Formats: sequence, C-alpha cells, structure tokens
Amino acid sequence: MKETLNLTLKVWRQKNANTPGKFETYEANNIDVHASFLEMLDVVNEGLALKGIDPISFDHDCREGICGACGAVVNGKPHGHLPKTTLCQLHMRHFKDNDVIVIEPFRSQGLPIVKDLMVDRSAFDRVIAAGGYVSVRTGSAQDANNLPVSKEDSDLAMDAAQCIGCAACVAACPNAAAMLFVSAKFSHLSLLPQGQVESKRRVKRMVYQMDKEGFGNCSNEYLCEAACPKGISVSNIARMNRAYFKSGV
Amino acid sequence: MRSWLMSSIGKKQVVAVSGLLLILFLIAHLAGNLLIYRGPEAINIYSHTLHSFGLFIRLAEFGLAAIFLIHIAFTAMVVIDNKKARPIGYIGGQPYKERSLATRLMPYTGTILLIYVITHLFDFTLANSNGPGAFVNGQNLGLYGLIVNAFANPYEVLWYVVAMAAVGFHLVHAIQSVCQTFGLNHPVVTPVLKKISFVLGVLISVSFASIPIYVWLFISTAH
Repeated sequence: MKETLNLTLKVWRQKNANTPGKFETYEANNIDVHASFLEMLDVVNEGLALKGIDPISFDHDCREGICGACGAVVNGKPHGHLPKTTLCQLHMRHFKDNDVIVIEPFRSQGLPIVKDLMVDRSAFDRVIAAGGYVSVRTGSAQDANNLPVSKEDSDLAMDAAQCIGCAACVAACPNAAAMLFVSAKFSHLSLLPQGQVESKRRVKRMVYQMDKEGFGNCSNEYLCEAACPKGISVSNIARMNRAYFKSGV
Repeated sequence: MRSWLMSSIGKKQVVAVSGLLLILFLIAHLAGNLLIYRGPEAINIYSHTLHSFGLFIRLAEFGLAAIFLIHIAFTAMVVIDNKKARPIGYIGGQPYKERSLATRLMPYTGTILLIYVITHLFDFTLANSNGPGAFVNGQNLGLYGLIVNAFANPYEVLWYVVAMAAVGFHLVHAIQSVCQTFGLNHPVVTPVLKKISFVLGVLISVSFASIPIYVWLFISTAH
C-alpha cells in the first residue's frame, strides 16, 4: 500500500458569520496514510500559511474521539463516511490517492458558522441550561447506591449519556433537527430515579428551547443515528416524543 | 395545550394522528371500492346506501375534509420550518443508505396525492351519477357507468395507477413513522412494525390500483 496520498480538497471558506462563504480548491500532497483527517488539515494549513493564505479554521480539542469538539461534513457525511467515528479518528488510509474531498461545515440555522468549518454550538448549551440537569440532591456515592436502578434502565441511560454533543445529528438530518441530541440528554436523566422528578418540566423546557434555537422538525429519517459517532439510538427520540405528548396534552 | 400544538413535536403528532385517521378512511374506502368485483349492482347499492345516510354522511365528509386539510396544513408548517432550519444545503457526497426510497419520496408522493384527490373528487364524488357520464351503450349504469367510462381512457388508468403507487410509498413510510412520533420504539416490536408498515402500504396500494386496471382490461373494452 502506498504510504502517502495526493488529494484535492474543496473546502468551504467563510471569513465570519456575516460574510458569504464559497468553496476554494487546495491540493494536499504527500499526506501520510496514517494521519488523521485533522492532521491532514494541519499539513494543508502549514502550506497555506507559508503561501500567506489564511489557514482553514476548524473545531478540535481532544483528538481522541471523546470531546465532541471536532466535526465537519466530509463528502456529504458528518465526520466522514466511517460509521461511529469522529472526524479526528477518521484516518487518511480510508481515502484513495487522487480523491477529491469536499469539506463543508455543519449546516443549520441553530449552529451559525463562526469561520470556515467552525460552528457556534452554544445553542446546545442553552438547551442543556433549559432542562438538562437534576436539581434534587442526589447524595454522595454511598447514597446513590442505595437507590435501586434496574440493569436495563441503567444501560439505556448510560447509552444515552454517551452523547458528546458534537452536533453530527443536526448536520446529517435533512431538516437540521436536533432531536437526537436533545432526546439523548433528556433520556439519560429521565431514565434514572434521580432525574424522574423533573422529567415533565425538563421535556417541555428542552423542546421549547430546541425550537427557539431554529432547529428543524424530525421526520423520522434516522440519518442522525447513522451519523452519530457514538451510535445513539433513535429510540431516545421516541422516548422524548412519548414524554412530550404526556406532558403537553 | 397551545404550546404543545405549536411545538416541533406537537405539529408532528398532529400530522401523525390526522394521517392515521386518513389511513383508516382509506381502508374503509377500499373495502367499498372492491365491491366493483361483484358487478354493477353491488357497487351502485353501496353508493346509494351511503347517500341514504343523508346528513350523517355529509358530516362524515366534512370531518374527512377537515382531517385532510389539517394533515396538509401542519405538514406545510413543518416543511416551512425545515427549509428555514437549513438555508444552505450540502454539495458533496452520496445519500445515506439508511434513508429509504419511501422516506425520500414523501414530499413528492404527498404532492401527487393532493393533486390526485382533487381530480378524483371531480371524477366520481362530484360527478353526476345520473348524467351522460353514467351511460354505457345507452343504458344508465349510475356510479358503475361513471367508473367504466372513466377507465376506458388508458391515460386515466395510468394516472390512477401512478397515484396509487404514490399512496403505497406514502404509507410504507407513514405507518411506522406514526409509531415513532408517538413514542413506540422497541428493539423487537419496531422491526416487525416496519414490516407491517411495508406490507400494509403495498397491499392497500395494489388493491386500489387493481380496480382501474381491471375495469380497463375486462369491462370498458368489452363494451
């Protein structure tokens, strides 16, 4: 196998939120196949900086696939084509020599573009602030263990809690809906006894905030689940739909 | 209640309930229509019996129209919200295989059905079943005559078959979608529901579409 790749990148460049963006084409030559996608962008940026071109801005932090900071739409898919993988864990060996790669930011009214591939995800913080918390005193570890939680509920809650808030679900949804994120945050609290007290209030507030942020409506297409790097299930959306119906009617 | 109705989930649930009621109407309508296979008398008696209910059937028609309009109005609201939610689309890539054909076609099948329902009302419901359109070989055959004359035209048959294919695609997505929207998602039950959704959608669609084809092939041409 060839150890380096030559690629053509079509990258969305946008100076700031108020300036219209456009695609620019860059050559990415001699890219190590073991580099991550973000490392490939680092190499390209070094080259751009040497030429006096503004480097491509992109979100990143841990580069271990656990923080949820990175993410861009690569060839039409958030975090690229590999299932259950964040962009930082997508390696260049999954691409072929001379590939043309289209890199776009996550696109949603609720996630405005800050610059190039960077988006402002503070709408997610506001959804959490609206109801994604437990206000009852849950006690220290010993007290918590005195509360019986079934294995099934505990597993489901932990599965939902895996959400890293990367917003790939919003990016993948044809309607830019944030239902998978919001329902995962709702579910992981509401499945546990500590979170059940406020469940009704939580679902109302979180859905209200989600709508206010300008995300779209769910049309049960399940692309969110397909794009989720943590494999969060759409059964969380069903759980939230059920809770919302009970709380509202 | 008002905040529920205007929320993203509430609007979807209104679309789901109204859609479910429309599916129940479709099943009842299909049961009536299949009487065509029992000949002119059966379908005409069925039609007369329905009309003999007078005010009751008018109320039912009004209710059905209201449900239909609610389904469309709330869908329109959802679609407008969704367009606003992503002002600029993506240019790269292939579609997800997780997105089924029926799901992708929902806006198109929905639009075809809206146009179809209007033409269908003019073809039969609003047409005079004692007028010239009901006469076959100089004989007044009532609703049966209207059907035979309408489906003597192959383009009319084709349009009905296309519309019924749209019904099929619409239902294949819709039935399982109603369950998800109301919170029914279970590792064992949901895959079964998806299969039921598919079978029911195809069955209703094929049964409806069989009528114009049967009338065109075996009745209209015989006259």
